[in-house]
Amino acid sequence: MSKTKKIQGGKVYVFATLIIFLLLMQSAFHNVEPPNEPVKLNYPAYFGNRTYENPKNPLTKQGIALGKMLFYEKALSANGNISCGSCHQQDRAFTDGKRFSEGTNGKLTSRNAMALVNLLWVDNFFWDGRSKGLENQSLVPLTDPHEMGQQLDVSARKLQSLTKYPPRFKEAFGTDKITGAYITYALAQFERTLISADSKYDQYLQGKYQPAASELRGIDLFFGNDKEQEPLMRRRTCGHCHGGPKTFSELFHNNGLDSSSQDLGRAIFTGLAADNGRFRVVTLRNIALTAPYMHDGRFKTLEEVIDHYSDHIRESATLSPFLREAMENSNKIGFQFTRQEKEDIVNFLHLLTDSSFVNNPAFSDPFK
Amino acid sequence: MIHIYDNFNQRIIRNIFLIIPLFLTISIAVAQVEPSVIVKGEVQRHLTLDTTDLLKMKRVKATLNDRGGVSHVYEGVPITNILDSAGVTLHGQLRGENLSKYLLVKCGDGYQVLFSLAELDESFTDKVVILADRVDGKSISDGRGPFRLVVPGEKVPARSSFEVTALIIGSAKD
Repeated sequence: MSKTKKIQGGKVYVFATLIIFLLLMQSAFHNVEPPNEPVKLNYPAYFGNRTYENPKNPLTKQGIALGKMLFYEKALSANGNISCGSCHQQDRAFTDGKRFSEGTNGKLTSRNAMALVNLLWVDNFFWDGRSKGLENQSLVPLTDPHEMGQQLDVSARKLQSLTKYPPRFKEAFGTDKITGAYITYALAQFERTLISADSKYDQYLQGKYQPAASELRGIDLFFGNDKEQEPLMRRRTCGHCHGGPKTFSELFHNNGLDSSSQDLGRAIFTGLAADNGRFRVVTLRNIALTAPYMHDGRFKTLEEVIDHYSDHIRESATLSPFLREAMENSNKIGFQFTRQEKEDIVNFLHLLTDSSFVNNPAFSDPFK
Repeated sequence: MIHIYDNFNQRIIRNIFLIIPLFLTISIAVAQVEPSVIVKGEVQRHLTLDTTDLLKMKRVKATLNDRGGVSHVYEGVPITNILDSAGVTLHGQLRGENLSKYLLVKCGDGYQVLFSLAELDESFTDKVVILADRVDGKSISDGRGPFRLVVPGEKVPARSSFEVTALIIGSAKD
């Protein structure tokens, strides 16, 4: 009898221990943070691996999703009337079609809104390269009075009061206490995913598209794929600065827009006389979608841009030595393209339009 | 009334925060910075060198053809002398893992080129790469100077970079 009691007592003890163990396990699992899923970006090998990520801000599924919401969040502007996506519209390869953009206060920006394409390969942002790293870049439009015009601590407080955000910050960064730094981190994560690598030109490089004759001539002209016999100036082609299949390498040049620059460009940031009138050499990916062109949006069409490089380059003390070299060797201003060559180059530039990029739901406004 | 006064003060404070950066920006634009070359990275001493500093160092000449085939005589300082001044692991120290070190040359327009240290060191090569500040007896101008790297003996002068602003030593690793 006492033995049976002992056995029953033992069973109760084991059962109780099991229940306590299960309760503890449940509690432990309940306290575990949701898995923060790392994300690896895919791009063609011919883009190269000279990418700029931030080891303090690794890409995660949750961080990117939050960044996309913030990119389209109007509460980040002082008057609640614009978001990043207002001036960086996906269907225009994240530009807005205007010479200058209207800020939250109705005033215009001083330079043309830049396309947000393949930023993973950019280290120094803006037309003058003044901001190093995407995390620093977003500080400028977020707080500039003529852009979104709101200090980061105010933005953080606003987001904290919106019920949808604290849990998402918790998922992305492990805390529901929203800070300005986390806002810039999430935006940077989203912007690093804006990779355009599925244009017809990419399909051509991958053997999936056969360009028309004019497009092929445009490729040869653009990259200078010809010919030791060609005059020297022709070997200094567009691709010298808009280099490689990305059509981008991080360079800053005075491309001869003015003999005396009203906007000093990079010199405002560096203080160096050599940087007067010098601006970023932009990526040409999706360039057919991002008119108007140049830092001040002075050219309405690609044809006007090609005309400039062909016939209207202005001499100045800081004109790119590569453009000057071309002129020195021909005693003429500019590349002197023929009408057919201009048409061929424009046809090549249209090959760089990536419709899957501008229609990708991963980049689109989640509030629509 | 007090409330309005507080708002007024806040507005002044806010405007001051806007005016100060604007003033600084204009000042920077007006006050031109003198060009220089910095030496940094895996060095014992960081250096910032201007034209006067280069004139005090060992001077040599090197010849380089331009793209039109015209020969020019450049004058400047051997790059290894500059790296020695910064305490870079050259000469007897250039062995073992130091052979995976590189020199990254950065230029004012964002252009960058790279050399392994062994490509520059006199125990490996007779080629003397120089940081030039004179060409044919004159300062280097027209967006190519004031400091140009001159790499003799290369078929294409693509590493003879214009407007050198920084020499950075690092270790290549996979």
